[in-house]
Amino acid sequence: MKTAVFWGCVIPNAQYAYELSVRKVLPRLGVELVDLEGVSCCGIPVMSVNMNAFLYLATRNLAIAEKTGLKDLLVPCSGCHLSFSEAMHYLSQDEKLREKINSLLNDEGLEYKGSIRIWFTIDMLYNVVKKETIQKSIKKTLKGLKLASHYGCHTIRPSSIGRVDDPEDPRKLDELIEWLGAKSETYPEKLDCCGALLLWSHHDTAFTFAGLKLKAIQNRDFDGLVVTCPACHMMFDERQKADASTIGSKLDLPVLYYTQLLGIAMGIEEEKLGLHLNRSPVDKLLEKIG
Amino acid sequence: MTLTDLMTTKKPDSKLRLKVIEKVGEHKPYNCFQCIRCTSGCPAMKMLEIKPHEIVNLVKLGFIEDVINSGIIWTCAMCLKCKERCPQEVAPVDLILALRNLAVETEAKVPEGHLKNVSMILETGFILTPREAITRKLEKFSREKLGLPKLPRPSEKFKTTFLKALETS
Repeated sequence: MKTAVFWGCVIPNAQYAYELSVRKVLPRLGVELVDLEGVSCCGIPVMSVNMNAFLYLATRNLAIAEKTGLKDLLVPCSGCHLSFSEAMHYLSQDEKLREKINSLLNDEGLEYKGSIRIWFTIDMLYNVVKKETIQKSIKKTLKGLKLASHYGCHTIRPSSIGRVDDPEDPRKLDELIEWLGAKSETYPEKLDCCGALLLWSHHDTAFTFAGLKLKAIQNRDFDGLVVTCPACHMMFDERQKADASTIGSKLDLPVLYYTQLLGIAMGIEEEKLGLHLNRSPVDKLLEKIG
Repeated sequence: MTLTDLMTTKKPDSKLRLKVIEKVGEHKPYNCFQCIRCTSGCPAMKMLEIKPHEIVNLVKLGFIEDVINSGIIWTCAMCLKCKERCPQEVAPVDLILALRNLAVETEAKVPEGHLKNVSMILETGFILTPREAITRKLEKFSREKLGLPKLPRPSEKFKTTFLKALETS
């Protein structure tokens, strides 16, 4: 499968490990990635300021993706995926709104037709690549690991516009982890929010959200936390020290992207998956895998 | 006799209420029967005491100005649980977003971080600029050093259209 890919703001400016591991893993599983030119922020960061500007940004990026002629668009960030899903939903229901946004897009000779299909990392792997291809690619089993999954709020809600998995009992990421031989156990805090979007107004509370979730997972003796959203990963991995000092606890939980975990199982070198860039103590986890 | 806010002796503001309704549709505040399912699952309520059902009620009653100026609307973490779980499809988070938009329009106090997003997008197209990654061994890596391709850049025309989009509501 050949698909366009939209990286957004957080991945290509800060979360390089995600970009590296997606670029490394997906082509080996038969997914060819085509980068987009001239794209911008997905729009979600301005939703609170101006809904119209949000819709303009989201739709503009979709229109650029459509212009490539490709039928599919991979959006590995939960926030961007939500942004595009919302724009597609609202514009398909409201002809006038579509005309209004398209008249803005016309400034750059763009038009949103509504022909593109979007994918997130989880459903791309679960529904397109599928179990058989993933398991065939495995060189190293992750047997013996007990891992926690974190989906990201925007990956699974709101179900009314169509999301990647069930809003209250998501299972796909857990299954993806188990396909590699590890155990993905459910835990009461599984659906708790990472707090990332509070960084724009309430820093300490944002870190408290992330810290409390990490502490709960750590107390349940998990070997690590597996994430697919770059904002959540930033909160749990890069900011783990800030989370810890905000809640006044010691945190040392390995946090990594699913694409990194998959890459390890596929036998890809650690640096090529950006594992040297994780700030949480992933060495502990890597030692256990051996 | 009309309603009066006994704390401030203010009267409901039907014009501002209409502005919110225009953004979200009439069904959104008025279908709410105050079951409080939204508030009981709200993670921001636990830490910052936002009560989504109260916000819906204040919109219903027309006490918009106080909500916009209180700062409480900026404590929502956008987890979307209230939208998912509301049995009446009221989606308190949609009302909160409409109130935030209205706060910007009426020049109420808006957290710096949200406004910075707008200026960053105007400047570069994105809310962030490439950061040097620091490894656990404290080595520094740039995108280039990691072998990642150049970032896309939106055209100059994009900026003027984005400004245009910001001017309409």
